[in-house]
Amino acid sequence: MAEEVTVRFRPFVERKPTLRKAIARGGLRERAEITALDNVSFTVGKGEAFGVIGPNGAGKSTLMRVLAGTLRPDEGKAITYGRTSTLLQLGVGFNAELSGRRNVYLGGLAAGLRKREVDEVFDDVVEYAELWDAIDRPVKTYSSGMFARLAFSVGMHLNPDILLLDEILSVGDESFRHKSEQAMQDLLDRSGTIVFVSHNLDKLAEFCDRAMWLDRGRIQEEGPSHTVVADYRSSIAHPGRSE
Amino acid sequence: MSTATTGGVAYRMRRLRIYLRDLWSRREFAWYLAAGNIKARNASTTLGLFWWVLNPLLLGLVYFLVFGLLFGGSRPDDYVAYLLSGMFVFHFTHQSMTGGANSILQNTKLLANLKFPRMVLLIAAVIESAIGFAASLVVFYAIAIPTNGIYPSAATLWLAVVVPIHVLLNLGLAALVARVSVPFRDITNFLPYATRLWLYLSPVIWPLSLLESSDTLAAVARYNPMFQVIAVYRTALMGNPFDPSALVSSAAWAIGVFLLGSALFVTYENRLVRYL
Repeated sequence: MAEEVTVRFRPFVERKPTLRKAIARGGLRERAEITALDNVSFTVGKGEAFGVIGPNGAGKSTLMRVLAGTLRPDEGKAITYGRTSTLLQLGVGFNAELSGRRNVYLGGLAAGLRKREVDEVFDDVVEYAELWDAIDRPVKTYSSGMFARLAFSVGMHLNPDILLLDEILSVGDESFRHKSEQAMQDLLDRSGTIVFVSHNLDKLAEFCDRAMWLDRGRIQEEGPSHTVVADYRSSIAHPGRSE
Repeated sequence: MSTATTGGVAYRMRRLRIYLRDLWSRREFAWYLAAGNIKARNASTTLGLFWWVLNPLLLGLVYFLVFGLLFGGSRPDDYVAYLLSGMFVFHFTHQSMTGGANSILQNTKLLANLKFPRMVLLIAAVIESAIGFAASLVVFYAIAIPTNGIYPSAATLWLAVVVPIHVLLNLGLAALVARVSVPFRDITNFLPYATRLWLYLSPVIWPLSLLESSDTLAAVARYNPMFQVIAVYRTALMGNPFDPSALVSSAAWAIGVFLLGSALFVTYENRLVRYL
């Protein structure tokens, strides 16, 4: 079960301070603040798929990082129950110079598995990614589809309770896409939770039960995915009418 | 929110325990990262790991040619071993510092996506450097035996004491450098000059007899942790007389720098992602 209570923060992105600017300013803090997420609260339950939509810069990826626990909000907090697997970017922890085999271990260990646990799922990961013999070749020799399949396969085999996905439903070719959707459905069936960000509105509406529309860090609307997607679409078609 | 106050000692101790437990559970990850980086380097360059040894070796050769001739008569008989032992020891520290900072700066993707104790990356960088250092010790004897007739002896067992101390010092330094160079990228440009200066201030190139000329110089030089660490290494590697005070101050420096560096780094690591 994932339950998120008030993910809110104000002075969010500070510009990278350089020594020169800091000296020029006489202090270390940049004052100009950007509020990437402004008082966002929502709850996602077990066995539920939750979609997040919105224009570029709405705060979707920031929200995912908060849920993943890599970014601490300035105010509020995110609470997750169970093992979280993040597929926000593909191939996190991978080293392209190394073989696929080694990268499965790197990716799995990076995500928090023990080596023993990676040993157990290793064959399944390779089988699922349809890589077979290529697993011992350096990852830099892989096609982008092979790379994506391996990365996705590692993420799915972490056996997560919560899966965070950021715009990677379009992984691989048609048959692999079908397979990945099946895997996500399986996760939901065993009461896992999926939160995902996508610009593919049709797919999102079809896959998710509920959705949230973010704009400039604020929740515009939250509810059944079809309604939210339809409202988001009409706001794009008729800008200014909804506000 | 916890019931204990955020600033309370009990609360901090509990946080520290959780951090250390997380860190321990990620030990295999640290090892795989370090081994992976070495493997990747071996795959991308022909000489691979050997560059770790070759860099200080070539630099040592340059210094040998320049300063060896310059110091001429005052040069100790075992100058080759003297110079190389210092170069390799110093290089281990240098590599840990730059490697530690880079492990944070160049792993943006990992840091943004996955939650784990960030010290894992620094530890991996130090492990990687330690493997290179181990290789360089083999090369040390390969050169010191034919040139200066210096063989491993019972004193070499001091390595078991001084290497852990050195590793702790390097980890602390890596944490300090990472802590300051994440918000201030300028530091990474500045670092090579700072370490080069430190190298010249340490008894690597110049013979210890240089200190006999001035009491103040001798007193000041000893405040350099590297001075003390290298002294213990020269006991271990070259059979120089053992100096207990060098060992004690090395350990004190290492513990102090490690505690300071890791405290500054760990209290900062939650904010890391914002600057990457």
